[in-house]
Amino acid sequence: MTDDNHATTDSPGDAERALTDGGTDEEARTDGGPPATVPPDDETPTWSERKEHTQGLSQLTYQYFERSRREDEDLRAESTYVERDVLGFPTWPHETIRNLAISSFFIGVMLLVSALLPPHFGAPANPGSTPAIILPDWYLYWSFGLLHLDPINPELAVLGGDKVMSDELYGLVTHGVIFGFIGLVPFLNKGSARRPVEEPLWAAIGVSGVIFSVTIGILAIQNLVPIELDLLLNLVFLLPVLGAIVTYAVLKTMREGYMYDLNRRYYMLRPPK
Amino acid sequence: MSLKKQDEMDHNAWLKRQDLTVIETAFLTTLIWLDKRLRIVDYLELLETMYYRANLQMPKSHTEQYDLDNKFWYWYPLYSLGSLSIVAYLVAAVSGALLGFYYSPSTAGMAAQGDPTAAYDSVVEIMQDVQFGFMLRSIHRWSAQFMVAAVFLHMLRVYFTGSYKEPREVNWILGIVLIGLTLLFGFSGYVLPWKQLSFWAAQIGVEMALATPLVGEWVAQLLFGGFTLGQATLVRMYILHVFVLPFVVTALIALHVGIVWVQGIAEPH
Repeated sequence: MTDDNHATTDSPGDAERALTDGGTDEEARTDGGPPATVPPDDETPTWSERKEHTQGLSQLTYQYFERSRREDEDLRAESTYVERDVLGFPTWPHETIRNLAISSFFIGVMLLVSALLPPHFGAPANPGSTPAIILPDWYLYWSFGLLHLDPINPELAVLGGDKVMSDELYGLVTHGVIFGFIGLVPFLNKGSARRPVEEPLWAAIGVSGVIFSVTIGILAIQNLVPIELDLLLNLVFLLPVLGAIVTYAVLKTMREGYMYDLNRRYYMLRPPK
Repeated sequence: MSLKKQDEMDHNAWLKRQDLTVIETAFLTTLIWLDKRLRIVDYLELLETMYYRANLQMPKSHTEQYDLDNKFWYWYPLYSLGSLSIVAYLVAAVSGALLGFYYSPSTAGMAAQGDPTAAYDSVVEIMQDVQFGFMLRSIHRWSAQFMVAAVFLHMLRVYFTGSYKEPREVNWILGIVLIGLTLLFGFSGYVLPWKQLSFWAAQIGVEMALATPLVGEWVAQLLFGGFTLGQATLVRMYILHVFVLPFVVTALIALHVGIVWVQGIAEPH
């Protein structure tokens, strides 16, 4: 194929447009028209051309990749880490059998529970009569409870006592706020701390969240709970705060204890002069 | 010496030269036949690599390496919650596929208000007439409950051990999406039997959708097939439950686990 290309370039008066494979686009000329566009295989960039990535986003990407690769190499050169043989258990049989055991235990528990506790099946749907108790499955109680927050939907005096948004929309917005906060957690809390003891504040926030998901679920079944609505609403928001305070206090105390032990061990090993 | 062109790769002649048993001959003939058409040799090499991979060792975890098991063993069940939710998901998938043979998503047969519909009747039939049907529905329902519970507890474990921190933000957000989809899975499944509670749960869903500004009516049309509940709602919930969500959730779970694989487990210390 390349031979053919050279044969055509030999003839004088050619449009000398060298292509990457050494030919011209002479043979790609159509009848009477201007030279046709170069066939696609001639347009394909060579490897060196590809590597240069001379423009725009691809150039930036390429530059960044080069930088990160260099950073990697530098870190590896600085590191004192010695790669040893992998310390570990074989995938087969150890890991596989362990995983199979865990899975079959769990499946067994599920089968046992479904044999012992068959599900209830209610009356058929009747659009004409609203049941006294409307409830989703338990895992949506919290969501259903958030929709029952209409007593605290704020009214604005400016609007003549009207609510800014409907009660339903208010319920939806609370969902958005909760999901949004949970999504923001890793961007708010950074660092290498892992244990709750290391960060009592975040542990306290977590505990208050867990308690709130339970209390708000109780709000969803308010007509089954023999507590007045006002008191219930107060409890829904006070119990999580209470739980947070208790958690914070307990973890702080535990931390003091850990520090005491550490210090004692330190001074037993290196007694002060 | 004959002038006839010799086929270097005359596999059949090679087969004849070997003294093979019937089973070996049959196996090799099939293999050669398939390989001529599909070039499975290449894939066999991949399989061989996999075989050696399977004989590799899993690296010891942090706790195993530093012999901390005596301190941390009671944490381990918490670290298996993610895989427990996958197992429950698989059990629900298998039992759900079996239930799908008998269930019909239709509100036909509702002459007067409160009459059982075809959907309701089909669930009753599953529970009363189908061999093993009651147990099947029980398994499906309970595995769903287990999955949701495991997913919630998994999130709590990740939160309280700080495993969502810096390099793992993407997986945390992916997990939030997965929890939302799991709840949607549960909700759509709750609607399917078209019993009284299903109907009114769906009713609340429609009202919530309609309360959303700007996109509310569009969402109600898309998810519930209109502003009042009926056949369209049931079919949409059915398609959501048995077609859309399984693909989406399975893909996202694979991505979720894949990211854990790449980034490594955030271990206790």
